[in-house]
Amino acid sequence: MTDRVRVSVTVPADPATAFALFTEETDLWWRRGPRFRASGRTPGVLSFSPGVGGALSETFEAADGPRTVVTGTITHWEPPDHFRFEWRAINFAPGESTTVDVRFEATQGGTRVTVEHSGWSSLRADHPVRHGKDTGAFLRTMGLWWGELLTSLRERA
Amino acid sequence: MVQATLTALADDTRRSVVDLLRHEPRRASDLAAELSITPQAMSRHLRVLRKSGVIREEGIEEDARVRMYQLCPEPFRELRGWLDEVESYWVTELDAFREHVEKRRGKRG
Repeated sequence: MTDRVRVSVTVPADPATAFALFTEETDLWWRRGPRFRASGRTPGVLSFSPGVGGALSETFEAADGPRTVVTGTITHWEPPDHFRFEWRAINFAPGESTTVDVRFEATQGGTRVTVEHSGWSSLRADHPVRHGKDTGAFLRTMGLWWGELLTSLRERA
Repeated sequence: MVQATLTALADDTRRSVVDLLRHEPRRASDLAAELSITPQAMSRHLRVLRKSGVIREEGIEEDARVRMYQLCPEPFRELRGWLDEVESYWVTELDAFREHVEKRRGKRG
């Protein structure tokens, strides 16, 4: 148990189809509005560019001209089973990012799609560099620590 | 509030204090001794934790000079609330994805 949120859904398609629809038709299904998109209510296009190093980005017409906002950078790409990207919201400070892991598993009658979003314990005002620690190690410690703490508090509740 | 909690806890000593307080309320002097730091340094850490609402202090009946420190559950509930929000975000997105797959399948079939 670490600092992660895991959500699953089963869709009526094989993994290859589910993977393709998820990553190639993203704009058609990704919810619209300020909660889900950097463009807010402005019409725009949200898409993944496939492969490691590719981006989850949004292009829209801002008041001062066309704008592209990159929300994620793909760090792992293994169709049709799995891909992962670093997720940064527009209000994140430099060095702050979270990880979104997406898995596609064949099940009876379809594919189970699981999204795991982790690393939110990195979102704090203090940057780890100030503590003279390796960022990765710091986040791992923080993540484990938060996970344990939340688990123990839930058990108590 | 979540931000204040995280800032207060972005420190090894303060996290150790919280770990100790998870088990039982403690005196400042016990905490300082346990973590091998001076009472002055402990007092500064306790102040940060108290101001951010992570812990609270209480007196004890037997001795008015002694202050006991204990964890406040509220900031942790807020963190839990934050996680719940992330979860609800993805539940909504995956629902939308499932609807999309169903619609596409309808067109193909």
